[in-house]
Amino acid sequence: MPEDPNLSRRDLLRGRLFGRLVQSASNKLDAVGTAITNASASPVKSTRANAPVAGGGNGESGGRTGIGRRFTLPIHRPPGAVDEVSFLSGCTRCNDCISACPVSAIVHAPARFREAAGTPMIDPHTSPCIMCEDTPCITACKPSVLRVDQPRKMGVAWIQTMACLAHTGSFCTVCSERCPVPNAIEVDAGKPTIRADVCTGCGVCASVCPAPTNAIVVMPMADRPAGDGAQNAK
Amino acid sequence: MLTVDRRTFVKASAMAAAAAAASGSNRVLTVLNNQPEGSPLKWQKAPCRFCGTGCHVMVGTENGRVVAIQGDQKAEVNKGLLCVKGYHVGLALYGKDRLTTPMLRKNGKMVPISWEESIETIASKIMANPKGFALYGSGQWTIGEGFAGNKLMKAGLGSNQIDGNPRLCMSSAVTGFLSTFGVDEPPGVYDDIDKCDVAIMWGNNMAEMHPVLFSRLVDRRTRGEKVTIIDMTTRRTRTSDLADHVLYFKPHGDLAIANGIAHLMVKGDKYDKDFVAKHCNFRALGPKPDEKSPPDMLGVPMTFEEFAAAVEPYTPEKVEELSGVPADKIRMLGELFMRRDIRINSFWCMGMNQHTRGTAINCIVHGIHLMSGHFGKPGDAATSLTGQPSACGTVREVGTLCHLLPGGRLVANAEHRKEAEELWNVPEGRISAKPGYHTVEMFKRFNTPTDQGGDITTMWVQVTNPGQTLPNLNRNFRAKQNLADKFMIVSDVYPTATTELADLILPSAMWVEKNGMYGNSERRTQQWFKMVSPPGEARDDCWQLLAVSRRLMDLGVEGMKGKDGKWIFHTADKSGKEVPIWDWAHYYDVNVDERLFEEYRPFSTKKHKNLAPYQEYVHARGLRWPVVEQPDGSWRETRWRFSEFDDPFVAKGKGFQFYHSVSKDDKALIWFRPHEHPPEMPDNEYPFWLCTGRVLEHWHSGSMTRRIPQLHRAMPKAYVEMNKADATKLGIRNNEVVTVKSRRGEIDLPVWIGGRGDPKPGEVFVPFFDEGKLINLVTLDEYDPYSKQPDYKKCAVTIARKG
Repeated sequence: MPEDPNLSRRDLLRGRLFGRLVQSASNKLDAVGTAITNASASPVKSTRANAPVAGGGNGESGGRTGIGRRFTLPIHRPPGAVDEVSFLSGCTRCNDCISACPVSAIVHAPARFREAAGTPMIDPHTSPCIMCEDTPCITACKPSVLRVDQPRKMGVAWIQTMACLAHTGSFCTVCSERCPVPNAIEVDAGKPTIRADVCTGCGVCASVCPAPTNAIVVMPMADRPAGDGAQNAK
Repeated sequence: MLTVDRRTFVKASAMAAAAAAASGSNRVLTVLNNQPEGSPLKWQKAPCRFCGTGCHVMVGTENGRVVAIQGDQKAEVNKGLLCVKGYHVGLALYGKDRLTTPMLRKNGKMVPISWEESIETIASKIMANPKGFALYGSGQWTIGEGFAGNKLMKAGLGSNQIDGNPRLCMSSAVTGFLSTFGVDEPPGVYDDIDKCDVAIMWGNNMAEMHPVLFSRLVDRRTRGEKVTIIDMTTRRTRTSDLADHVLYFKPHGDLAIANGIAHLMVKGDKYDKDFVAKHCNFRALGPKPDEKSPPDMLGVPMTFEEFAAAVEPYTPEKVEELSGVPADKIRMLGELFMRRDIRINSFWCMGMNQHTRGTAINCIVHGIHLMSGHFGKPGDAATSLTGQPSACGTVREVGTLCHLLPGGRLVANAEHRKEAEELWNVPEGRISAKPGYHTVEMFKRFNTPTDQGGDITTMWVQVTNPGQTLPNLNRNFRAKQNLADKFMIVSDVYPTATTELADLILPSAMWVEKNGMYGNSERRTQQWFKMVSPPGEARDDCWQLLAVSRRLMDLGVEGMKGKDGKWIFHTADKSGKEVPIWDWAHYYDVNVDERLFEEYRPFSTKKHKNLAPYQEYVHARGLRWPVVEQPDGSWRETRWRFSEFDDPFVAKGKGFQFYHSVSKDDKALIWFRPHEHPPEMPDNEYPFWLCTGRVLEHWHSGSMTRRIPQLHRAMPKAYVEMNKADATKLGIRNNEVVTVKSRRGEIDLPVWIGGRGDPKPGEVFVPFFDEGKLINLVTLDEYDPYSKQPDYKKCAVTIARKG
């Protein structure tokens, strides 16, 4: 699925793209819940009117009217993470994934993530996930909120063509050369484009982009599938 | 350093958009270093510090620091565009480990010393053995620095032991121009890029090495113009990806291809007979003077019939056998050159120059352009590109090579010496008639025990990194460390593979930390002013040379005085009072760069390379020589040399005039040079060809660009590119570390299969920027007999899996 040029950054933040992507990737959506929580921080499954997705979420579309309802910041989880609600309730903050990561890409979420503070996350612009084949972080996760049977999709990267050297008359293909995911970045006539359906959002491209103003923005995935057995693992 | 938050990003985008809207261009990128609102940012022009393209940048300074870089919209060369290195050039100044204090090796350890002690040490080393002292610089010397170094050696010490790394970079282009036109440097200019219908890359990966020029070429396609790009190469590169035709040839096959084109023109009887009859002579190499020496470079005349007979064997089929390029593709090239209705521009860089037959291939390519009449009209040109910002401006024009004098003249010529002595105001006979040692020979002798013929005992290296860039480093650089009586002085801005073995390290100012002038590939002389102060005690390279010269005079070295008894670098202010420029405190009391440039200018007229007064360059984004004063007092640059319509030195009615003709009849030479096999070829023991080269992100040995975080992250370490078929055969996986080994040395490198470049089976490629992976331990130091330029592109290696 090629990158949809009509999607705005806001759409990305709201997870419209990911909803569709994950759906096409896994066809296993039984929840469209995102990190929408109320003031008491109890996880609630929900969806938004502007994020229509197929699957079990349909029944709940149309929104809800909770008191103190607010959005938390979408958070960039390590690969194979279950849906955010299950993740937050299942993660024991044991740090095992953090110490397992060979490149120290997994860090504690800072305080601005509120109830998610202290849980494992990746800041792809600072220290990207390198997409290890043997996924030591997933192996290390005892409560199984990182799971091998989940898509390894953490988010998606996209190129700000106005800042990209290759798209502005110069030459550069560093992002595609260093991308660890085969075919995620295609180069046509010297100009790279990211295939959003293949990109895992690892952030390697953003960390190596040499443009004077980094041309790559990596957004965390907002809607992740719950994953089989995620509830049992708690 | 360039941490960009979201706000800055949005702001930069907005600014770029605004600028784009204002200029009508969509290629404006702006660096913003978290610039506070309303800050007093000052913008000044400068040529980029890196390659020989000669892009101009606008440098933004604030509080004594370079904080922003933009492409210069007013510059004809780059029209506001920069490559990835150019956008980050300002950060080259701010690596964490800048050298800031002079350091001397005492009992094996480097200890900080004062500048006074440094200058005293150098002066005493020179005085101990003046003939054993050598100065080694580069095309990164500014014009003033090169001129000062050249005068110090040739007019001061009466010694020609000065050479520079352009010997490793473009000396074959020089011998090619000299053999063909009798005078160095390209007749055409970059405007040819905008006018040509066909662009031929002779082993030139322009997209990676001169990206702004390649942008200028391919940008024409986006404007709806048709330009056919033919990439002749030994491996697939970024340039190949945008070429219409990619012709893969075997290493060294380029001579056969060029001779094949000449063959077809002769056979088809479709060369430009009128142009050849009026403006060209045919030439061949004469007999060898003795068994060991090569034939004389200027050759002997030959008739057209003899030339035709000489190229007769180069049939398309024979060329296919020698070069690997299919015969029908050779015919296609021949057909193109036979057409009169198109404009053809050939480009080359290290592929043709770093070649044991470099002079020969340069000559043949000029020859096919002359024969076909694809010469001297906008778009019809044979253009050599250079790698360093002032290889042309300083080394070739100022003549900082062991056989040259300023203005393209020769130390071996008595008349040239006499004129130089007059201009330098030194006694007759001061300049030595004997050329010094060329680079490889100079370093060989420095790395040989003094009692075994190693007659160079002290070397001063400025603005270059031979510890990484010389071929066969074990022999030519590292042997010195076991020789107690050898003393190496290195002026540099960062620790390098060269400073590692230095006995005295001098911290230098760089780029906009000093006044300077550069000259780019298209004869464009450029000027900039000092904008910020160098860090710590770092000082200008030029000052270092002048301070040593002055100290030598004070110690009684007569050569440092001119005929008038004054110091050879005597400098006075407007009132005629001497300015003590040897004293750092007073060095910037006058513009030493202007003073040296004005002394150099009269030399430039000797071979019609006329330069304008310094002040003209202050206001221009460079001017292309010859720059000639007009009746109204303005100065006019020249784009197409030897062509009547543009070159003021061509007599009226001549059409074309090669006024420095080797044959003294205003004609250029069309050479025949045969194809020959290279000195080392793959065999059973060493089955692969090794080619070395550069990458877009790093400039040469990487001592500056590897300290720029964005560039280092984008290209952190060297690798060996390998063909997939070879890797499969040897069971090598992508990223696996292998040993690349030659008869001279070995290194371990990770394999990159299907990467940015893709060599043909039987060939591997390694970039040389990584000082942690010195591929020059492996390369061969065989060189072209005329240019003395080593061949870094071809030697035999073996690839072995580890463990």
